[in-house]
Amino acid sequence: MSTPILRTEKVTQRFGGLVAVNAVDMHVEQGEIIGIIGPNGAGKTTLFNCITGQYTPTEGKIYFHDKDITGMTPFQITGLGMCRTFQNIKLFPHMTIMENVMVGSHTRIKANLFDVLFHTKSHNTAEKEAEERAKRALELTGLSDNPYYYGTDLPYGKQRRLEIARAIASDPEVLMFDEPAAGMNEGETADLTEFIREIRDLGYTILLIEHDMRLVMNICDRIYVLDHGTLIASGKPEEIKQNPLVIEAYLGKKV
Amino acid sequence: MFHKITTAWALHGKPVTIATLVVLVAFPFLFSNQYFVTVAILGGVFAILAMSLNLISGFMGITSLGHAAFFGVGAYTAALLSTRCGWPFLLTLLAACVVSLIFGFLLGLPTLRLSGRYLTIVTLAFCEIIRTVETNWRSLTGGATGITGIPEAEIFGYVFDSPRKLYFLILVLCVLTYVLIARLMNSRLGRGITAVRDDYIAAQAMGIKDSRYKIMAFVISAALAGMAGGFYAHYMSFISPLSFSFDQSTLILSMIIIGGLGNLTGSVIGALLLTILPEVLRPLMVWRQVIYGALLVVVILGKPSGLLGNVNLKHIRQRELFRRQSPSAEGEVKP
Repeated sequence: MSTPILRTEKVTQRFGGLVAVNAVDMHVEQGEIIGIIGPNGAGKTTLFNCITGQYTPTEGKIYFHDKDITGMTPFQITGLGMCRTFQNIKLFPHMTIMENVMVGSHTRIKANLFDVLFHTKSHNTAEKEAEERAKRALELTGLSDNPYYYGTDLPYGKQRRLEIARAIASDPEVLMFDEPAAGMNEGETADLTEFIREIRDLGYTILLIEHDMRLVMNICDRIYVLDHGTLIASGKPEEIKQNPLVIEAYLGKKV
Repeated sequence: MFHKITTAWALHGKPVTIATLVVLVAFPFLFSNQYFVTVAILGGVFAILAMSLNLISGFMGITSLGHAAFFGVGAYTAALLSTRCGWPFLLTLLAACVVSLIFGFLLGLPTLRLSGRYLTIVTLAFCEIIRTVETNWRSLTGGATGITGIPEAEIFGYVFDSPRKLYFLILVLCVLTYVLIARLMNSRLGRGITAVRDDYIAAQAMGIKDSRYKIMAFVISAALAGMAGGFYAHYMSFISPLSFSFDQSTLILSMIIIGGLGNLTGSVIGALLLTILPEVLRPLMVWRQVIYGALLVVVILGKPSGLLGNVNLKHIRQRELFRRQSPSAEGEVKP
């Protein structure tokens, strides 16, 4: 077996006395779609925040391609090739759709203060490249309408897609989606499911947190189940569906 | 109505800019009255201060009450270097920028740990500290009496000895400031600054090192304010701590709020308005301050985000041009 693209080793995050994430071991292979599920407050987003560098885990290690990334800052991790979206959409309200996506390519283009003030060649190439990348990402996500409106003017479902476009523009190997279907109706969710499959086929590895069971069971290659910060199950969707511990975590014990 | 004007402006940006520049160049010849030109020079100084503060408070979103301190640091640097060391104008101006820049870096450091109103208090304290030092370090700054006899600006033997010449000097510095900040904001770095202001967590997740951008905004802004200070010292030939007090900071902040945060043209308009208005109202004598205050209230009530707040001509132009290119814009979002 090749080395996993992403691996966590006994990752633990404590907030005072609360153990939000407890010794979680997981691994993600190249080209997989991995789901993380669990009841509200299970520690899914906290685990995400540990992986993307928003938090430094209290204990444990995180490896990206066998490189120890524990304690790195979010911007370093994005530079390495991992990019995320947020549970509560975080677009830049004073930027157009285009600019929002152009920000995504921030780490992939180079232009320093000198270049910018004197409009050197590297500034011009950087701007052109950022725009090209943004256009490609917008096309891929199906947001090819007028990209010069503000991102926050878009309807909800498209705002989520815009966040994904922005993440794609950062040219990542691993895309991390935090509840991409939250607040979407059935039709929108079906579109999203199809879309996630499409981008996986383009070579991205995908890690997602989701509550929508149909979506998760439909597209995930493997699933990790968290409850009270602890990993209670992992495996293929069919295995998870049958797992008594998972059923108990979601529905409670039999009386 | 307002929407139509801004759209037309956005689509015909170049002619408007050229016309504005022509008017600005013609101004001292049309109004040969020295008084008008003198007011305009002061307006220019404030325009630079307002545009540079806009970088911190508008584009970076950190309300700063310490901008007069950078202005003062620049003015004192230029004044001291020219009166005591006999440096020529261009070098004192450059030194004013550099020394202010260092102070900008120092004030930028707390931004890494603080935010919001806590940070604003720090900028307020910074302004007071600088003013207190200016007032009390008598051996260096001359205390409350300030520094007198600062020589006139001179570049390679050309002496700026009339208001008209000085007017063109400050006009060049204003254009320089405008172009510099506009170029910065229309770039990868400018997107970084806007992203950090709009949502610093998302910005970090997109690979933007937010601390670097905050420091950068402070450093550039301070250097430009220092430049304005350097010019001011040579122009007035006399400076005292009174010109760089907290009141001055709030005045500059009012200018950018009235002009619209995050809009450079707005800052220039705000600066000119608040420089010219008190002069226009001078004949009203005791009623002057009342009318002045009332007018400001009316402007803010009429347009709470400032005259050109939330107006981004570049966005409007791009949007309109795109719409005209693809007339079959079905399913297009409407704000």
